[in-house]
Amino acid sequence: MKKSSIFGLVVIAIAIAVIISVYSNSSTYGSFKDAANTNSELHVVGHLNKDKKLVYDATKDANYFSFYMKDNNGEECKVVFTGSKPQDFERSEQIVLTGKMEGNEFHAMHILMKCPSKYTKDQVEITEAKAKQASI
Amino acid sequence: MDNPFKGEHLLPGHLGQFFTILAFGSSLFAAISYYFATTNPGDTSWKRLGRIGIYVNAISVVGIGACLYYIIINHLFEYYYAWEHSSRALPTHYIISSFWDGQEGSFWLWNFWQAVLSCVLVRKAKSWESPVMAVIALSQAILATMLIGVEILGGRIGTSPFILLREAIDLKQSAPIFATNPALYHNYLTYIKDGNGMNPLLQNYWMVIHPPTLFLGFASMVVPFAYAIAGLWTKRYTEWIKPALSYSLFAMMVLGTGIIMGAFWAYESLSFGGFWAWDPVENASIIPWLVLVGAVHVMIVYKNTKHSYITATILTLTSFILVLYASFLTRSGILGETSVHSFVDAGIFWHLVVDVVVFLILTIVLLAIRWKELPRTTKDEETYSREFWMFVGSIFLCLSCFHLVVVSSIPVWNAIFGTKLAPPSDPVKHYNIVQASFAVVITLLTGFTQFLKYKKTDNVKFFISTLVYLVVAALITLPVIYLTGANKLQFVFILIMVGAIYSVLANGKVLIDAFKGKFKLAGSAVAHIGFGLIMVGALISAGTSKVISENTTGQDFGADFVKVKNNPRENIILYKNTPVVMGKYTVTYIGDSIAVPNHYFKVNYKVVDAAGKVTEEFLLKPNAQANAKMGLISSPDTKHYLFSDLYTHVNMSNAIAVGEGTEAAGHDEADDDKKYDAPIPYEVAVGDTIRFRDGYVVLKSIGKVDKVQDIALTDKDVAISAKLQVNANGKTYDAEPIYMIRSNNAFDFARKVEDAGLKLRFTKVLPQKGKVEITLYQQPESAKKWIVMRAIQFPDINFLWSGTIIMVIGILLSIFRRNKELKTV
Repeated sequence: MKKSSIFGLVVIAIAIAVIISVYSNSSTYGSFKDAANTNSELHVVGHLNKDKKLVYDATKDANYFSFYMKDNNGEECKVVFTGSKPQDFERSEQIVLTGKMEGNEFHAMHILMKCPSKYTKDQVEITEAKAKQASI
Repeated sequence: MDNPFKGEHLLPGHLGQFFTILAFGSSLFAAISYYFATTNPGDTSWKRLGRIGIYVNAISVVGIGACLYYIIINHLFEYYYAWEHSSRALPTHYIISSFWDGQEGSFWLWNFWQAVLSCVLVRKAKSWESPVMAVIALSQAILATMLIGVEILGGRIGTSPFILLREAIDLKQSAPIFATNPALYHNYLTYIKDGNGMNPLLQNYWMVIHPPTLFLGFASMVVPFAYAIAGLWTKRYTEWIKPALSYSLFAMMVLGTGIIMGAFWAYESLSFGGFWAWDPVENASIIPWLVLVGAVHVMIVYKNTKHSYITATILTLTSFILVLYASFLTRSGILGETSVHSFVDAGIFWHLVVDVVVFLILTIVLLAIRWKELPRTTKDEETYSREFWMFVGSIFLCLSCFHLVVVSSIPVWNAIFGTKLAPPSDPVKHYNIVQASFAVVITLLTGFTQFLKYKKTDNVKFFISTLVYLVVAALITLPVIYLTGANKLQFVFILIMVGAIYSVLANGKVLIDAFKGKFKLAGSAVAHIGFGLIMVGALISAGTSKVISENTTGQDFGADFVKVKNNPRENIILYKNTPVVMGKYTVTYIGDSIAVPNHYFKVNYKVVDAAGKVTEEFLLKPNAQANAKMGLISSPDTKHYLFSDLYTHVNMSNAIAVGEGTEAAGHDEADDDKKYDAPIPYEVAVGDTIRFRDGYVVLKSIGKVDKVQDIALTDKDVAISAKLQVNANGKTYDAEPIYMIRSNNAFDFARKVEDAGLKLRFTKVLPQKGKVEITLYQQPESAKKWIVMRAIQFPDINFLWSGTIIMVIGILLSIFRRNKELKTV
């Protein structure tokens, strides 16, 4: 067999190994219900329940943050995150959590949130015109 | 023109829109002309037309830029782009960067660099001009469609930067008053006083230089692609590699610089605490680069040995397709919830797909047609030859790229196959391990290939020198990893360290030989040394970075919480003027300084030796902007040492409020008292001490005063003051509250010591006891100013930055060498 063919086989083998390792390492999206039924880490997509209290008091513990999130099936769960409260969390539109269930609490390792910031949403700020306002 | 809307400046927009159409038309014209110039080589008039097209295109691209610049610099907010990306408060240099803040502006930047390269190539490409320019002009034309923004068959093609605000947004919906009152609507501009402004995170000088560099890199990757296509098209199969090599090296250098600039920017001013986070957007920029580096090496193999022609061609073509694919990944919005970079689908999803598909089909069809004619060597490469191992290394670079593509494209697979895969739950770890395995092979190859010669090498000599260097590298690695603490890392990372040091040594030997006369080898040796140092720096700084602000005092939230393998407790709260010991540092938050819009937190670091002497002291000023639109945006500050960096970042604070500076002054007295704990009266004589949480207060003396602030005192009034010395957190402050009797009424004037969180009142005189009553108001712990911060030590990160500079110098040397070869042949 030619050396280049052997090398080609090695390359294909590595490529397959890469795909398998990615596939086995990849996580899945799920709901809180799925999270309760499994021991592995999951991605849960949902939104913040703004009616319930967000707990973050830096003077007590700068690394404890908890809140209630509703997943896309409407199920609600308390979420605990070790770390400081992400900026502007209250304004988040959608949250993606990575983590798993511990008892009745979802322990998030990672929080990703999407904010409707002024920089992505088209909302014109109309200010009151005053008499002395010069026209542009 | 009759325009019912008052105050709009329509001319720059119309002119700009004209230029966008002209840019598209002229590049398409150039592409067609150059196509016929290639198929009718005898007829020079086609070539002349093509050149006209290229020059007109260059002028119109500059014209688009000029119009857009005029609009932004003059704050013409009737244009959506200016309104969306700039504001009046933005300083001039950031106005330049607001230019490429948006999708359209960055496409323009790409277009601009391609126009510049086109003008260079028209002069330099000589016999390659027609076919190469045909391809580049086609790429330029497709890019130009991204900017035209014309409605065809109900769909809009591209988005024009010259769209008006009232066309982009339904103003009547945003402000119902416009719907009911047409007169107001026609006068809408007087209500739009300012633009949205730029994301404060991007208001950084890196934003001024990083995107132009990155896009010059992306733009220059079309040149080797065009040469490869031209080679296949005109059947000059083997000739294209030589002229394309310099351009490939140039693209590799510029794109590499752009990527590292991004890493440096992230490290210096963004808050994710590191230089690389394996975010899909970061990966997208490195994907084409890896394949390009592989392509360059195989091109050199071909040039020296006539082996591996097909691989060189395919890799060169693929690298450009991957540029387009990367642009699809980052701009189409498909990454959705997998990336922190919020990209929304701007309606160009299918447009971007078409862009990739056009060039992919061109590549595949051309390769298929010419496949049988492509030059191949029947002879197998020697095992002990440089070309064989260079080839292996290039393929490993491609495999590393393949892995990045597979993982970053998870949302694409989900879209195609309808699966619901999520990225790995600990992506950084996943990428680090897999990519590290490739890096081990690649660093070792960059090392031992230096001992091999092209075609055939004496294998005994080779084994001896390889082994000697490998042993030396391993011996150096041992103390390095034990001193830096890298020995605790996973085994594969230690292997990279051996590989990287080996590569530096082996290439160092080549460099020494180069100085002895074989100077043309210097370029690659220097570049490889740079690469080795990048690996060493990245490995030590990322692998052994240490969070020194670990919190050990937090309130206990139950045993369950502690048990969980959770994020380390990286954040710590610092009360103003209360020192906290972190590692070898004593850290104190000592105050704030405000330079609108930035709020700097002054954090003092001290190193105290055993004798209690301060051996080192410095101040870091991480800052935050309380942005009314985005909330608190903070950026870190870093103390740079030669061998380590200390990074400090403030997450949160009660010392800063959104809308800072507009706070109403003058609080009610009763309100003011609420900010303190319940007052405690103390009866004290001169010399007595009052203790409080953070220190003590001494009554120094009591004296009569003649004047109390603005109140004129008469003979009948009595005013006495208590001279108090406050000792808090090792500092002393003076306070002098006053007690006054006027017309039989007692008044007192409190004094505050803000730094100690105290308010002191002189409330009673007790002559029979020879004492006075001092009332002490103490701020509760939570009302004191605090910051929540995170401090990370990054050792040896300077290897990473200096390695980059060395690598760039090395590539530059190689470009000079290849250009020289081009002239002599």
